[in-house]
Amino acid sequence: MTTSPAYTAIGKPIGQIEGPAKVSGKGAYTADVALPGVLWGKALRSPFPHARIVSVDTSRARALMGVHGVITGRDLPDVLYGRRMRDMPLLARDRVRFVGEKVAAVAAETPEIAAEALRLIEVEYQELPAVFDPQEAMGPGAPRLHDDVSAYPGHREPVSDLTNVFSVVRRTKGDLEQGFRESDLVFEHTFTTPAQHQGYLEPHAALVDIQQGRIHVWVSNKSPYAVREQLAQVLGVPEEQIVVHLPHVGGDFGGKGALMDAPLCYYLARASGRPVKMVMTYLEELMAGNPRNTGVITFKTGVKRDGRLWAWQARCVWNTGAYGAFLPIPTVNVAGGMQSAGSYRIPHVEIESLCIYTNCVPRGHMRSPGAPQVCFAVESHVDMMARALGMDPLAFRLMNVLEEGDTTPTGEALRDVHAKETLQAAAAASGWDTPKQRPHHGRGMALYDRHVGSGLSTVTLTMAEDGRATLTTVAPDTGTGSHTILQQIVAEELHLPLSQVGVTVGTTDAAPFDAGVGGSRTTHITGQAAYRASQELKGLLAAAAAQVLGVAADALRLEQGSFVATGSGAARSLPVAEAARLATRAAGGPLRVQITHDGGSTAGITSFCVQVADVQVDPETGQVTVERIVSAHDVGTIINPLGHQGQIEGGIIQSLGFATSEELVIEEGRVTTLHLGEYKLPVMKDIPELVTVLVQHPEGPVPYAGKAIGEVSNCPVAAAIANAVEDAVGVRITDLPITAEKVYRALRAKP
Amino acid sequence: MAKQIFRLKVNGDNYEVFVEPNRCLHEVIRDEIGLTGTKEGCGTGDCGACTLWINGAPVTSCLMLVGEGEGAEVTTIEGLARDGELHPVQKAFIQHGALQCGFCIPGMIMSAAALLRDNPHPSELEIRQGIAGNLCRCTGYTKIVEAIEAVAAGSR
Repeated sequence: MTTSPAYTAIGKPIGQIEGPAKVSGKGAYTADVALPGVLWGKALRSPFPHARIVSVDTSRARALMGVHGVITGRDLPDVLYGRRMRDMPLLARDRVRFVGEKVAAVAAETPEIAAEALRLIEVEYQELPAVFDPQEAMGPGAPRLHDDVSAYPGHREPVSDLTNVFSVVRRTKGDLEQGFRESDLVFEHTFTTPAQHQGYLEPHAALVDIQQGRIHVWVSNKSPYAVREQLAQVLGVPEEQIVVHLPHVGGDFGGKGALMDAPLCYYLARASGRPVKMVMTYLEELMAGNPRNTGVITFKTGVKRDGRLWAWQARCVWNTGAYGAFLPIPTVNVAGGMQSAGSYRIPHVEIESLCIYTNCVPRGHMRSPGAPQVCFAVESHVDMMARALGMDPLAFRLMNVLEEGDTTPTGEALRDVHAKETLQAAAAASGWDTPKQRPHHGRGMALYDRHVGSGLSTVTLTMAEDGRATLTTVAPDTGTGSHTILQQIVAEELHLPLSQVGVTVGTTDAAPFDAGVGGSRTTHITGQAAYRASQELKGLLAAAAAQVLGVAADALRLEQGSFVATGSGAARSLPVAEAARLATRAAGGPLRVQITHDGGSTAGITSFCVQVADVQVDPETGQVTVERIVSAHDVGTIINPLGHQGQIEGGIIQSLGFATSEELVIEEGRVTTLHLGEYKLPVMKDIPELVTVLVQHPEGPVPYAGKAIGEVSNCPVAAAIANAVEDAVGVRITDLPITAEKVYRALRAKP
Repeated sequence: MAKQIFRLKVNGDNYEVFVEPNRCLHEVIRDEIGLTGTKEGCGTGDCGACTLWINGAPVTSCLMLVGEGEGAEVTTIEGLARDGELHPVQKAFIQHGALQCGFCIPGMIMSAAALLRDNPHPSELEIRQGIAGNLCRCTGYTKIVEAIEAVAAGSR
C-alpha cells in the first residue's frame, strides 16, 4: 500500500450525501413526483412476435368514463426512435416485431381505469413468419425484420449482406492464417449466454407536463442531456423547449439510457391537456425492457506446445432482438465484443462482432455491455486450453497475460499494466496453491481488464456569504455515490468541513451539457469538473484574502482552512469563511464558477481484476454452492472506500446471478419468466464470503490519481465459477446460467 | 367499480380516503395520502420494496387491498424517525454504505427494524433469513448485514 498524502476528505468512508433523504423515504424517484391533475398512462402491447396490424379500434376505450386520451401509431408523426440508430417506432404503425411492442396508449384518472381502457381496444393482427434464433435469422431464407437498415438515420457502419445483420465490427492483428500454421495445437469452443435483465428495482417511469410552451420531463434515466436531445429529435421541437428534471434513479446498471415511455407521456399530455405519468409494471420490464444481449461466442485458438497463445479467432453473434434502438455506441454494436480475445499477448488475432435482428425483446446496455458474456467465454476457453495442455491455469495466465509494452488483441498500447501482480495477489489471498480440503470442492480463476471512460461534464460551484459551498451537478447519482464524491472533492480543495458543502442537482437548464452517467466515466469527468471548479473558486477567495493581507494572491497558501501569507515575517492568515465574506461582499452576492470539463482521451489506461471462486458441488443433484469469491483489483487512489467497496460487492453479486440463476427465458419470442419469483435475482441468503484484495498504485485520470471501478467486478465471476465447477467435478458448463440441472445432466453424461 | 370511504391510520394520523375497493394499500398510501416512501418494485410480492408494518408486523403492501388496512396501525418508513431523529437502523444504513440507489431501502429498513425489535441480537444467519424477502440489486447485501449487525452490537 502506498502512503497517500494527508487528505482530510479524500479516502474517507463518507456515507452518501443523499442518505438521509433515501432512508427516510423523502427522496423522490420519478414515480413519486406528484403534480396536480396528473393522469396515468398505460400502453397496449403486442401479443405476437411478428404480425401485420390490420386495424385498431379505440372507440370503446375513448368512451370509457375517466379516459382522457387514447393514441395509436397512426395518431403520431411517422418518426423513428433510437439512442444511435433510429429504427423503432414510438407506437407500432402497421407491423409489430416482438411480443410486448407498444401498439396504443391511454391516459386516465387512475391506473385501474387506464388498464380497463386497454382491454377495450380492439386490434386485428395478421401473423407473419417469425425468427428467434440469431444464427437462423442470418440465414438466406429467414424472415427479414427490417427492409432497409442503411436507410435508418444514425446508421453509419456498412450493412452486412447477411439477412437481419445490422452491425458488423471486425478487428485484426497480425496474420491469422500464418498464426494457425505456426501453432502446435488448435482448440475450438463455443459458449452461450442468456438475456439478463438489469434488475434495478425501480421500474421505468416517466412524467411529462407541458407548461407555458415548455415540456417538463421527469424520467428514470441516467443522461438528462441525452433525454433532451433524443426527445427533441422524436418530437420535432428545439432542445431548449425541453426541461429535464433529475429525480433519484432507482438503479440503472446501463438499463436506463433510453426514453422508454417519455414520448408517449408527451403525446398523451398533449391529447388530454394534463400532465401524464407512466410507470411500467415489473412484468412489462421483464417482457419488454432492454435486457443484456444474448451471446453465442465461438473461438478457434492456436497455441504453441509450451503454452504460448499464438492465433485467436473470435466470433460474437449477438441476438439483439427486434430493434437496435437501445444500443448507444457509434457502431451500433456491443462494445464487449471487442474484448473477445481477453487480456492476453497474442500475435495473430481476428475478432468479429455481429448484431442480429430477431423477433425477440430488443436488447440494450447492461453494466460493461457485452463484457460479462465474452469474459465468461474467454476465461472458460483459456482454462480449458490450460487443462488440455496439462498446465496450471494460473501459470498459463501468467505466461500469456499482457505486460508493460505489449499491445492488446485489438492493437492498443497500455500503460501501467499490473496484470501479473493482480493475478498473484488473487492467488495468494485465495490459497490457490493449497490443497483442497474436501471432495467435490473446486477452485476457479478468471481475469478481466477495463478502461476508464471519458466525456464532457459541467458543474457549477457557488459560495455564499457564510462560506457554505454548493455544487450543482446535472449528472444524476444512480446509486453509486457519485454526488458524495463531488462533496468530498470540494471539501478537500476548499478546506471545508463536509457539513459546509452541499450538492444539488439542476435541471437541463442549469448547464450547457453533461454526458451523464455511464461507461465508467462519472467519477473521472464529474470529479475533474468539481476539482477544477474548486480551484477556480479558491482563486477568487485568495484574491480577496490577498487584498486584506496586503500580499499578492500567489503568495498565499491554503493551510488548515486559512489562507496563509508565505515569506512574511509575522504569520498572517485569513480563514476561508472570512475570505468568503469579503469576496461575496465585494462581488455583491454569492461567488459562482461554472466549469465544463472534457475528459479527453483515456486510451491506454486500464485496470485489472482477477477473481477466484471456491465452489462445492453436490454430485447427486448437481447443485453448485458458491462458498467464496476473492476479488483482486488493480486500483488507483480510492476517493470513498464505502462507495468503492459497494461497487465491487454489488457487481460480484449481480454476476453471481448471471452465473448461476438469472435467465430471461424466451420461448417462441415470448419471455416466460415474467415476475421476480421466476426471474431469480440473488437474495441475501445466496451471498458467499466475499474477499477483496486491492493492488494499489496511485495513477489514473480520476482526481487524486484514481481509476474506474463500477464495471469491473461483474465481469470475471461467471468464468471463475464455471472453472471451479470443472475443478470440483470434472464437467464443463458452456451455457449460462450454471444450474443444478445442467451440472446434473453433464455428470450423468460423463463417461 | 364504485368508490367507497376507507378509514386508515398511518403513522398515528387518521385519514379518510374515497377510492375504489380494488386499489392496493401501498397505492392508496402513495397516491391518495401522499406518503411515497413506500415503493412499488415488482408489484407481485417478490421484492419487498413495499414493506410496511401492519400492527407492527412487516408485510408486502402491494399484495393487500386498501380495506385490509382498516382498523390497523399502519407504519411506513416516514413513521420510523422519532421527533426528527432517524431510527438507529436508518443511521446505520447511511454510515455503513448499506444503500446505493436507495429504492429498496425503505422496505429493507422496515424489515430490519422489525427484526431487531423482536430479536435485538440476531446471529448473522438470522439477519440473512430475516431480510431474505427484500431484494437489493446494488449492494450485494454484505454492507446491509454489517449495518444491521452494528445496530445490534450498539444496543448491547
